[in-house]
Amino acid sequence: MTSLIDTTIYSAITEAIRVEAARILSEGEVTAVVGYAAARRKGSAQPIVINTAADAGQLIFTPSCVNNLAVYLTKAKKEISKTGKIGIVVKGCDLKALVGLMGESQLKREDMYLIGVPCIGVLASTVQPATGLTAETIAPKCTECDAHLPQGCDFVPAQTPVVTKLEHKYAAEIARLEALTPAERWAYWKEQFTKCIKCYACRQVCPFCFCEQCLCDRNKPQMVDTTPRPAGNAAWHIVRAMHLAGRCAGCAECERVCPMDIPLNLLNRKMAMELKELYDYEAGFDVLDKGPLTMFTDKDDQSFIK
Amino acid sequence: MSRIGVFICHCGENISRTVDVERVAQEIGRLPGVSFSTDYKYMCSDPGQNLLKNAIKEQKLTHVVVAACSPRMHEKTFRKAVEAAGLNPFLCEMANIREHCSWVHENREEATVKAIDIVGMMVERVKKNRVLPTITVPVTKRSLVIGGGIAGIQAALDIADCGHEVILVEREPSIGGHMAQLSETFPTLDCSQCIMTPKMVDVANHPKIKLYTYSEIERVEGYIGNFQVTIKKKARSVDEDKCTGCGVCITKCPQKKIPNKFDCNIGLRSAIYVPFPQAVPNTPVIDRDNCTKFKTGKCGVCQKVCGPGAVDFEQQDTLIVEAVGAIVVATGFDLYTIDEKPKGSPIKGYGEFGHGKIPDVIDGMTFERLASASGPTGGKILRPSDGKEPKQIVFIQCIGSRAREKGISYCSKVCCMYTAKHTMLYHHKVHDGQAYVFFMDARTPGKSYDEFWRRSIEEEEAVYIRGMVSRLYQKGDKVVVMGSDIAVGVQVEIEADMVVLATAIQPQKGADSLAQKLGISYDKYNFYSEAHAKLRPVECATAGIYLAGACQGPKDIPETVSQASAAAAKVMTLFSKDQLEREPIVARVREFGCVGCFACKKVCAYGAVEEKEIRDRQGNLVKTVAFVNPGVCAGCGTCQATCPSKCVELDGYTDEQVIAMIEAL
Repeated sequence: MTSLIDTTIYSAITEAIRVEAARILSEGEVTAVVGYAAARRKGSAQPIVINTAADAGQLIFTPSCVNNLAVYLTKAKKEISKTGKIGIVVKGCDLKALVGLMGESQLKREDMYLIGVPCIGVLASTVQPATGLTAETIAPKCTECDAHLPQGCDFVPAQTPVVTKLEHKYAAEIARLEALTPAERWAYWKEQFTKCIKCYACRQVCPFCFCEQCLCDRNKPQMVDTTPRPAGNAAWHIVRAMHLAGRCAGCAECERVCPMDIPLNLLNRKMAMELKELYDYEAGFDVLDKGPLTMFTDKDDQSFIK
Repeated sequence: MSRIGVFICHCGENISRTVDVERVAQEIGRLPGVSFSTDYKYMCSDPGQNLLKNAIKEQKLTHVVVAACSPRMHEKTFRKAVEAAGLNPFLCEMANIREHCSWVHENREEATVKAIDIVGMMVERVKKNRVLPTITVPVTKRSLVIGGGIAGIQAALDIADCGHEVILVEREPSIGGHMAQLSETFPTLDCSQCIMTPKMVDVANHPKIKLYTYSEIERVEGYIGNFQVTIKKKARSVDEDKCTGCGVCITKCPQKKIPNKFDCNIGLRSAIYVPFPQAVPNTPVIDRDNCTKFKTGKCGVCQKVCGPGAVDFEQQDTLIVEAVGAIVVATGFDLYTIDEKPKGSPIKGYGEFGHGKIPDVIDGMTFERLASASGPTGGKILRPSDGKEPKQIVFIQCIGSRAREKGISYCSKVCCMYTAKHTMLYHHKVHDGQAYVFFMDARTPGKSYDEFWRRSIEEEEAVYIRGMVSRLYQKGDKVVVMGSDIAVGVQVEIEADMVVLATAIQPQKGADSLAQKLGISYDKYNFYSEAHAKLRPVECATAGIYLAGACQGPKDIPETVSQASAAAAKVMTLFSKDQLEREPIVARVREFGCVGCFACKKVCAYGAVEEKEIRDRQGNLVKTVAFVNPGVCAGCGTCQATCPSKCVELDGYTDEQVIAMIEAL
């Protein structure tokens, strides 16, 4: 077994989050705080919405705090944001989603109080909650994290995350797939998509799937086959990957919630690599009026015009 | 239940040569929903259209498919015919079996099968067509004219004479443009100002023309019939309402040694000035960069001597918003500058001709000012270096123009004629002088133009040398011109007293940024592009914006005036109706599903997408959704393709219609 990654700062961070949440709630700066609380199983965590300073003691931050809470500000708990300004606990990866949502007119900065978390990493969805954080048990997204310390928040605990350099798991897997022939690669994805049961958990958890009516649910005309058959499955996952291109910043929630273990974030990372290569663009850092895919400039790559 | 009529056109032999049209008609006739199917030699002919109209009535048709050429050719024709027979025109579709089929295939059997597929697709599509009402948008019957040169003046006068209000905006302190700078005009040699100034005065006195000089266009919003234009009125430092134009301030201004741009910088003016005596309006302006009061805070003489108290050093730039229905762009030209090249310009200079270094090498416009009675020399031809009368003068044509290697490949069109005019003006003023002209070839098409050019050689003693100049240099007080005479095949060397370069015509500086504000297209030289080179030469591709004069390409005065009047006629056509009718092929948002991500707004090239608030009965905001302004929408469909939840539909091209077409295959 490899050595444990030191996450001792998380207890101090937990304390700082509780104090700050209690303060903003008691001073009336926010009407609610979205954060993490301990769940029933030992070491596990779950999202929580608190409305009073007295409840602030329930908030925690541990390696099990995997959820991207951004989704609670848009579709998952629409009624929360109607109550007023909301405090939210965000890791660097979650913050990128909020930045994207602001650029797409779904959230306003002034409606949020951002409590940023200095984050070393969280556990992979495949391991038990009480497991210690190691190079094996860490979530793959954390091996490639470039936002351990969230920027531009209203409050960030003083602790500095000391980061262990790890092998980039997605980059390695993408490199492996790219080395395959197109036929082999297609066979790989076909097999993955065949597993899909069309539960749409990936859609429900994704902060960017905020459409009120998904085009894949339309039946007049029907755009995508709704039954879990190979052709319709592939269509759904291609639509999803394309719609997230230039927007997804890699919180990997889709992959975490997939009951069939389809490596969904691999597609998202591949699209992000394309965007980086074509437009030198990385999603989630700046609130942009227009992203590279909704804008035309003379310098855009036109090599596709043959 | 649809009763679809299908009409297969032979297009003479264009289609029937390759496609078995009778078989197509038969096969299509069997499709469910098709109740009438026939073929005819020329569907677009009168009998063809009557066939269609009669069939609609006799067969009680509900939808029509015409299988013929491209809808670009005849969609309007058939939709009108369908409308005349009492159906909504948008229940008629065309299937293109000519450009997409018969013209590109040789095998009759395969082409016939493909034609059946194409027509079958359109049959399925037309079943999903809905009745679309024509869109009407109100028209504001006021017009904006940008640029107060002869083009802008002519357009403004024509529109105003028709009874419509005109806002005329000019960047310089006076209207008049380049024509006011010219001495005499070809081919009749009448004085430019004598024919120009009456028009300028007409503009000033016209009750329907609102004149903004020393002003620029800041922002343009809106669409045909409904533009909102923000005009920046630069601080003149003189109150136009109080000023009587007496000119005392100009006489008393102690700062008098500023090069006058109107005189091509060879004459001088004061810091408070009118650019030329006939300026309209005759209100001075303070050049704040050169005024002692603005530079040091001391002086203020003009304010002290001004009787009505019009001088106002505190004046600020102001923004004015005007609502107009049409815009005429008449921003004119600028001359190619030989020595100074704007940074990043692909166009190269003519350093070898010494312009800017040798004082007696001037451009054509400077020569106009020297020859003009109102110019700095009072109409005497005197060279800039020592004020002596040049006895040998060399004119060189095509400086910049027609020089691909230098970056301009077009012909500037007016230089041959004005150089011929210059030789005449020179000969009239310097009787013992000799004019030489280096030219590539003389281009003189136009009424009385060639006669004019011949006259300069045959009667006015100008010596034309066919060939270009390779080098110019100063030798004592002479300018030595070395060139070749290719007609004779010898090298020529002339010791000239003065050299005049016929420099190329270019669009005004900043033409590109104005085009971006207006949303009109321009070519690589920044000349504005017309909608169609032959059939729509004064309209922009952007509806409601028209072009006049040299901003669209090099033009002489008669051509400019014709185009200005043509643009005015287009504006008057637009203003002849209270409501403007537009094709209803526009995007529509399904507000129910819209989540307001505004991706559609970001990609809309026409600014047609707006944000719309949806409120409940108590007035609480439910959500903000996208709204497509049908007056602005051009029906390009980009928003439809972009919407992630497919909540934007393009009428006439809905997803339902397109998928029906795909499924028919």
